[in-house]
Formats: sequence, structure tokens, C-alpha cells
Amino acid sequence: MGMEKEHRHLIFLGIPVMAVLLLLPLGVSRFYVYLVSLMLVTGLLATSLNLVLGFGGMYQFHHAVFYGTGAYALALVVTKTGWPWWIGFLAAPICSGALGLIMGVITVRLSKLYFGMLQISLGSLVWAIVFRWYAFTGGDDGIHGIPVPDLIGSSTGAYYFTLAVSLTALFAMYRILCSPFGRTFQGIRDNPERCRALGIHVQRHQLVGEGLAGFFASVAGALFVTVEGSVFPDLLFWTLSLEIVIMCLLGGWFIFLGPMLGAAIIVTLRTFVGIYTEYWTLVLGIVLMLLIFFLPEGALGLVLRHREPAAGSGKEA
Amino acid sequence: MDGAANITAAALLQQILVGLSRTTILFIVSSGLSLVLGVLRIPNVAHGSLYMIGAFLTYSVATLAGGGTVGFIVALTVAPLGVALISFVVERGLFCHLYEREHLMLLLFTFSIMLVFGDLVKLIWGSDYRSLTAPLFLQGSFSIQGFPFPRYNLFLLLVGPLVAAGLWFLTNKTKIGKIARAAAVDREMVGAMGINVSWVFAAVFVIGCYLAGLGGALVAPTQNITQGMDHTIIIEAFLIVIIGGLGNIWGALLGALIFGLTDAIGILIWPQFAIVFPYAAVVVVLLFRPKGLLKSTW
Amino acid sequence: MLRITGLNKSFDGFQAVADASLDIEKGEVVAVIGPNGAGKTTLFNLITGQLTPDSGEIWFREENITGLPAHVISRKGIGRSFQIVNVFDRLTVFENVQIAVLARRGNTLNLFRPARSMAVKETGDVLANVGLSEKRTMTSGMLSHGDRKVLEIAIALGSRPELLILDEPTAGMSPDETAATLDLMTRLSGDLGLTILFCEHDMGLVFSIANRITVMNHGATIIQGLPEDVRRNRQVQKAYLGGDVPC
Repeated sequence: MGMEKEHRHLIFLGIPVMAVLLLLPLGVSRFYVYLVSLMLVTGLLATSLNLVLGFGGMYQFHHAVFYGTGAYALALVVTKTGWPWWIGFLAAPICSGALGLIMGVITVRLSKLYFGMLQISLGSLVWAIVFRWYAFTGGDDGIHGIPVPDLIGSSTGAYYFTLAVSLTALFAMYRILCSPFGRTFQGIRDNPERCRALGIHVQRHQLVGEGLAGFFASVAGALFVTVEGSVFPDLLFWTLSLEIVIMCLLGGWFIFLGPMLGAAIIVTLRTFVGIYTEYWTLVLGIVLMLLIFFLPEGALGLVLRHREPAAGSGKEA
Repeated sequence: MDGAANITAAALLQQILVGLSRTTILFIVSSGLSLVLGVLRIPNVAHGSLYMIGAFLTYSVATLAGGGTVGFIVALTVAPLGVALISFVVERGLFCHLYEREHLMLLLFTFSIMLVFGDLVKLIWGSDYRSLTAPLFLQGSFSIQGFPFPRYNLFLLLVGPLVAAGLWFLTNKTKIGKIARAAAVDREMVGAMGINVSWVFAAVFVIGCYLAGLGGALVAPTQNITQGMDHTIIIEAFLIVIIGGLGNIWGALLGALIFGLTDAIGILIWPQFAIVFPYAAVVVVLLFRPKGLLKSTW
Repeated sequence: MLRITGLNKSFDGFQAVADASLDIEKGEVVAVIGPNGAGKTTLFNLITGQLTPDSGEIWFREENITGLPAHVISRKGIGRSFQIVNVFDRLTVFENVQIAVLARRGNTLNLFRPARSMAVKETGDVLANVGLSEKRTMTSGMLSHGDRKVLEIAIALGSRPELLILDEPTAGMSPDETAATLDLMTRLSGDLGLTILFCEHDMGLVFSIANRITVMNHGATIIQGLPEDVRRNRQVQKAYLGGDVPC
């Protein structure tokens, strides 16, 4: 499905959703403001993954590495140097974008499952270093109590900052997907061989995609630090990576806002299921099983399919 | 890195032996994963969960059977079979409906099973870790030039080649092995020969998962049996299978050797970052041989 | 324009292309015929860089292009369609062709401009040329088989090649669709002056459009000549297992 077709739904849905998001802190308790902040952060993360997964057809199995790297970049700049917080916030996307490019140079030579597995091994390497380097990263304890500037220090302030940054990032990603690059990237997803026959340097585009995905994931990572005030190695553990993939699948990965919805559902479920039972992953596992059996196009995919008969036949195996 | 200068030949030998015992476990687990990956084309993330279940089952069965040597031997026999039974139910109940799906979906599906199994283990055995002592005749250690080497590790070093020989026999000398190897290369052809591919797949899946259970059973006396041991082993097993060559059992052996030995030697060179060494080795191998060291069946 | 000499390619001991040679002048329409498995598609894949030859040379416009990667060869002016439909299933018809145009213009790494307003006229022209204008907003995965085959050609045209290679352009088409494709190929050759190399099983189409015909069998190019020569040639009749070549 092309990006153009979604445009109308976006505007149709966008205005009321925006109004609710803007007015949220006036109407609900701090807990819900925090919850929505977390949804935005996680949704941004999932959307950045989907940039390469759903729109690039790349088996990005270890996306959390970029998220975690962004979070640690901010945390380390703030706690280890005397530099201002904002420098840390800028350092995050630079570090992860660069990491995305470096890992991309190594991985884009391969495709599909091999690509994904090599990425997991590289990502695990990064994780292992973070996990063990107590002196620098805090090891498996992580770093806690990371200060935030006064301007965005309150929960409402952090919320509006998160809202502004994630909406800007989402808009930027949307624009990129509508650009010639985005269109070509989707072409590569559908048919890399055909793209080569058209003179497109497939791997170069995939490399750019990796860099972008890393860049935006780390924005989410830096926002996470803003909201939570802490980092820990689980932020770049591989199980989180697959959880993000689930979010994309749940919302529908051929739709731009699908992962946003998927992330919102997962965050909500985890929060409220977590109140009643410690067996949250059991619930998540069962949800995922049902999803794969009955709803492979995702929730939003199902809604959109009923609105207009589109959805092409999947060809790429 | 200060310790680097003090490495003696004996310490190195000891670490290599420890690494080889670790290799045994890694090989048993990853050969099962590789078998399933090669023949069924399923990247089975739940393989690690079966390993964990194998370890917990071994603990419970050994305890139920009264512990000691008898308990351990009974557990070593029964626990992997229990895992095989679980995998049989999972395959017939769930997987066999999904063979036509793309790899990504299969991977996510097995991940969902991993999530469910992880919590089921927590539900059944609780969050505390368990530990199992090896039977008396495998307890203790003997010394290699002054360094202790556990008897149980020696036992593992004997089991490894046995399993490898068994796998060789299974894949090369038995009918099901031959059919499975043919199915790995060309599914349609095997189906066209009038063989029920679905049951061949079931058999291969169960054998692969049995190996996961066996790995878990064998590892049980050497470490704490805990939640989360599925997460670690599955990544290691996947990396081993990848560097060895997808679906190639001997590749799994080679990969396990690389992984086990770099891990052991890493402990000697730079203990704090020992965990980094095998991952780095994997990256180096894949830089030069992106599709693994030995021929993949893909 | 295209000159191939002594081209070889084998897969695991199977010689798919054996000492193949081919010569195409500018403006010609050349057909490659031969039984299934004669190596026609492999030959095309070697020319366009999807495969690398084991030996032999491929020259395009006085330049040795042997073994170059596919995307480089494409930029030198060789466009192609595929035998098995190879379009962008989840994109619209318009977007399918637009990617080709953007790729030719070297715009595909542009991240900032909306693609909506780019290459609209040229893409529209290509679609009008092949008769897909009315279906431009349809998702290409939803098209009929015949339309997808036409879209195949349209995508190849989007990169404005000088040499257009078509791999069985009418395979699986209805008689009407085949006639329309023949008409399209005639116009491409006549109006745009495109050089066309194609392979095809429909002998009616081959003999009504090709200036010259090359016959392949067992990977080798056994004869290259004018249609009437090929029609009379006994080797050709043998290649088709004694079957009559339709007149």
C-alpha cells in the first residue's frame, strides 16, 4: 500500500487525536500522563523499526540496540561529563545513527534471515559490552536518577517535550517515506531484484535506511531517559527487539501509524495486566500466537482493509 | 589485561578443557536447532525454552527418583524424553498449520511460544533458582598439573562425541535421516515420492527438541537452573548455527567449538569482558564468511 | 549495439548457456527462440547482470559490460522485463513506474521532497503509452495477470532504455492482450526507435515483428538470421523436436 492512500485517514483521525493529546495533562492524573508518555516513546521506537521492517522489508531483528545506545548516550553525557543536558540529547541520535551506519555496512551485504542474525550477533556484542563495563555504563545495574533540565522536569513538562519531539520525529519519518527515497525503499521491499534492474543501488539505500532507523530509535531512547530518568542493559537486550517487532505486527506493518497503535496496545496491556498478575509475558505470548494465526495484517490493517479493498498480495518470502 | 602475562600452559590447558565441556552442551543444543532450521526451515526461538525445561525437569525427576546416582540417570533419560513429548504436542497442535508462512512469522511464532513457556516454567517451578548435585561418582575433581578439573566435565567430554556419532548415524544411516536430508534440499520431491512429509517434519522437530532437552539435562548439575537461561542459550545457539552454516550439523560442532573455546580463553585473558569474546569471534567469522563456515542446506 | 561472444554459464555442472553469441544493431527487433530450458532467460540474466558469466564477453555500445553489477548495467541503458511478473506488489501502478523514472534521474536518495509531485508527467506519459492510465491508482498486486505483464514493460520503459530486453512479454496473456502487446512493441520500435531483444513462445508474434531471429538450443545459439531463413532451417525444426514452425 502506498503512502498516499493513507493520507486521508491521517487527517481524519489526526485532529481529534491531537486535541486529546494536547489537553491530556489537564484532564487526567499523573499516572495516565506518564502512561501516554511511555506510549509515545515506545510508539516512536516501533515506528522507527517499521521504517526498515515494514517499509524496507529488512529483517531488523535487533533494533533495541539503537534505542539503548541512544538512551545510554544521553545518560553518559549527563552523568559523566559536565556538558549540558541538551548536548546529550543531540549526542543520542548522532551516536545511534553512526552505529546504524557501521552495523549497516557490515550487515547489508546479506539479506533476510542472515541479515537479521548477523545484526543480532553485532547487537549482542554491544549489549555484552554495556552489560559488563561497570566502570563506565554501570553494568547490569544501569544508571539511575539521571537529572533532567528544570524546564521539562515536571511530569507535565516531560510529557509535552515527549509529545513535541515524538510528533516531530513521526512527521519527519512520514515525510521521508513519501520522498523518492521512501518510495524506492518500498520498491526494494517488494522486489529488490527488480530495483537492481532499474539501476538502483539496493545496498546503498538499505544502508541509508539503517542509519535513519538508528537515528530515530535513539530519539526514542533519549526520550525514555527523559521520562524514566534511568537506563539499564535490558534496553538493548534482544528480547526487547522482538517485542518491538510484535508491536509492528500487532498494529500492522504496512501502515505508517500501525506500529504506534501496536505500541499503545502493548504498553497498555503490560501496565494493566501487570497490576493483576506477574505472568505478563504469558499473556503477551498468547496474544502474539492468536495474532499470527488470525490477524497477520495487524489491527489497523484489518480496519483499513474494511474501509477500502486494497492490501496487495504478499509475494516476498 | 594485567593477568595476561601470568597465563601458564597448565592454566591454558585447564581452560581449554573447560571450554570443550561447554562446547559439548552448546553443540548438543545447537545441533538440534540446526536440524530443525535445516529441514523444517523454522528458526525455533523456543528451542532455548526447551533447554530450560529440560534442566528443570531433570531437577524434578532426579529429586522424585530419590536423588543420587539412580535419580540422576533416571532424570537424564526421562527429562529429554519429556521435552520431546512437549515438542511433539506443540508441533502437531500448532506448527504443522504454519509451515507455509514466511520465516519472519515463524520466528515470531516461536518467540510467542518462548514467552509462554518462560512464564509456565515460572508458574510451575517458581522464581527461585534450583541446583542439582551430580551423582557421587561424577563429583569432585582431579588435578591437572595442580589445577582442578571437575569429573563431571570429563563426563561431558565423553558424552559429546557420543551424541555426535549418534547424529551422524541418524542422518547418514537411517531411513528417516536420509528422507530428512532430502527434504531439506527439496521438499516437493520428497512429497512427490509418496512420503508423508508432514510426519517426517514432526519426527525431525521432535529429535531436534530432544537434543535441546538433553542439553538442558546435561547442564543441570553444572550451574544454577534459573529463569532466563533460555534467553542466553538461544542466542548462543543461533549464533553457532549461523557461523557453522544453517542446517549443517557439523557446522554446529565447529561453531560450538569456536564459541566454547573463545569463551573459555576470554575468561583467562580478560575475565570482566569474557562474555564479549565469543560474540566478537562470531562477528569476525561472519565478516569473512557471511553465510557460515560450512555449506548451508539453505 | 550489443555484441556477445563465446558466453558460458553453468550451474552445478549444468551448462545453461554454452558458447552463445549474439549481435544486435541499433533499431533492430531481435527475437530469441528455442524450447523450454534452452537458456534464453539465463542469457538475458547474463546480459543484464543478474548473473555473472563464467567466460565470454558482452559489449554494449563499444563498452565491455561483462560481469558488471545489475544496477550499473541498467544505468548504461539496458532495460528489461521479467518472465515471471516482477512488479512492486504493494505500490500503485503509478508508483511502480515512477520508481523507474526516479531511478533513472538519480533521485532515489532524496529524502526531503515529496515524491508525489515528482516525475509526474513522464510517468503519466509512460502509462498512457502502454494503456494503463486509468489504472494508475490501483495497487499493482490487484491487477489482472495481463495488466501486470504490461506494467512489467512499463517499468522497464520508465528507465528509458536504449536497449529493451523483454523475457516472454506475452506469456499467459489472452489473445486480445497479446495483440495489444504486439501493437505496443511495434510502436516502441517504430515511434521511439527502441532496440528490442525479446524471447517468446508465440511464433506468430515472433515472425510478425522480429527483424532477425536467433535460435537457441541446449544453451547454444545455433543460428542467427532473417525470419525467412530461420523458418526454412532444418536445424530449427529439429530443435523443436520435429514440430512445425508456424508460418
